[in-house]
Amino acid sequence: MGLRWYHYVLWAAFIGGMFVLPEFVSRGTLRTLIFANFLAIFAISWDALSGRTGYISFGHTFLIGIGAYTTAILTKRFGVPVEVSIPLAVIATMIGGLIVLLPALRIRGSYFALVTLAMMELIYQLVQVIRPDLTGGTRGMSGLPTLTRGAANGYYMSVSLMLAIALSTWLLMRTRLGTALWAIGMNEDAVAGSGLSPTRLKMIAFLTSAFIAGLGGAVYIHYLGSIAPRALFDINFVFTIIVAALIGGAGTIVGPIIGAFFLTFLLEYLRPWLPGAERYMVYAGLALILYMVQPKGLASLVTDAAARLRRAP
Amino acid sequence: MSAALDIKGLVKRFGGLVATNEVSFSVKPGESVGLIGPNGAGKTTIFSQIMGELRQDAGHIALDGTDISHLPTPRRIRAGVSRTYQVPRPFSDMSVAENIRVGLMPDSIWQMIRYGPNHDRESELALSVGLTKEQLQRQPSELSMGDLRKLEMARTLATAPRLMLLDEVFAGLTVNEIAIMSSLVQSMRDDGMTFLIVSHDLKALEPLIDRAIAIDQGRLIADGSYAEVIADADVRASYLGAA
Repeated sequence: MGLRWYHYVLWAAFIGGMFVLPEFVSRGTLRTLIFANFLAIFAISWDALSGRTGYISFGHTFLIGIGAYTTAILTKRFGVPVEVSIPLAVIATMIGGLIVLLPALRIRGSYFALVTLAMMELIYQLVQVIRPDLTGGTRGMSGLPTLTRGAANGYYMSVSLMLAIALSTWLLMRTRLGTALWAIGMNEDAVAGSGLSPTRLKMIAFLTSAFIAGLGGAVYIHYLGSIAPRALFDINFVFTIIVAALIGGAGTIVGPIIGAFFLTFLLEYLRPWLPGAERYMVYAGLALILYMVQPKGLASLVTDAAARLRRAP
Repeated sequence: MSAALDIKGLVKRFGGLVATNEVSFSVKPGESVGLIGPNGAGKTTIFSQIMGELRQDAGHIALDGTDISHLPTPRRIRAGVSRTYQVPRPFSDMSVAENIRVGLMPDSIWQMIRYGPNHDRESELALSVGLTKEQLQRQPSELSMGDLRKLEMARTLATAPRLMLLDEVFAGLTVNEIAIMSSLVQSMRDDGMTFLIVSHDLKALEPLIDRAIAIDQGRLIADGSYAEVIADADVRASYLGAA
């Protein structure tokens, strides 16, 4: 994987920094950080598929929704313990997503994006109509078992999960598999022309993405203790995930994390002045400016600055 | 190292246009064959069908006697046939070394994860086509057309082909670069590689081939030694217009 000493130092500093953070911030900020951690997980999940392979998914909450609803139904309706329901939710996300979305991986570009968008709408309608006694219909479900109590514990749980996912995905993407997935985003035909099956590689990217989305979705609702379909399948939520990955730097691991924290805090601090959906216009404007300055995202601004420092006499 | 190619009754239609019309020919192991013809004759379409990038409407393609007509492109490459393109298609954001790495990837996902890149082999392939060690970390955008063709050759060689299809391998090259590319192909011929080469530069092509095949409007019009094919009345008419 070609790990260098500074990789260990940077990861150790990042993990250490994230774990001591609760000592320096207020309880309210801690709750914002928890949401940033979950958004980072979802953005990493989106990036594992779309940021790498260039297949833009507009329906990522479809995957998050399968994970969230599977564990919610299992725990609430069937009394399955959380330790069992979460792994089952992850498996269900991978299988369910594979059955529905894998055929879509044979189509490209805007058609793929449209199919994923339709999938999100489809599951939103399904959970409301099909067996509302199980899914809770339009009102969703509340009173689900929670994994932690208190903001500090919630933070440690969410940050541990986010860091574990970030580190594992980073290591995976540093292998030759990561290079092959990256190559698909650049020229899928040339990947096939190098003797590799693009469909198989996209399936791996998709399964990785589904695994993270399912796990993140399942743990998220056991943090909240409730599930609300309108919030989960909200188009603004999808766009927040996508913009977090893009604004931070698609195709990287640190990018979606930076983007998620930046967006969460931006939206939070704008709340007193712009309590409605107008807040999203502000981040759309910021995203636009960033693309004009550095299309590769905030992570590239940092790496470019570091490169300039190294070159400086 | 060498592979035999057999093409029988290959047909490809695009609507009313017959791009490949009942084309049949063979290439023996270790042989180098030039595929010539005017623009739009169907040479690249034949390459695309051999590689499985285009599916033929009729006919069969066999490599060493095994029918590969219905295999997807990656499996044909694993079987031992690989190609270069008229316009080089590097992975634009990757370094030269990473481009070659993609060609060297194993078929197994587990092996991709388990084993790291073979830097020595990447370097060896780059050097074998005339790229320098300093160029390994360069981006394709920093390379000349000649070096881009070398990179494409290195990535193609990384798939361990026994039959190479070279499409307009001299296009866009300077005289000096043509000489370098020719000697590269020549040395691979000496090692026993089988070639099917498309080129409009007949002067550069002639010393690299044992035989020539001429195509016009999707039909095979001549097959023989270079001198015989060039002297053929149909071939002259196809290049110069009917007398």
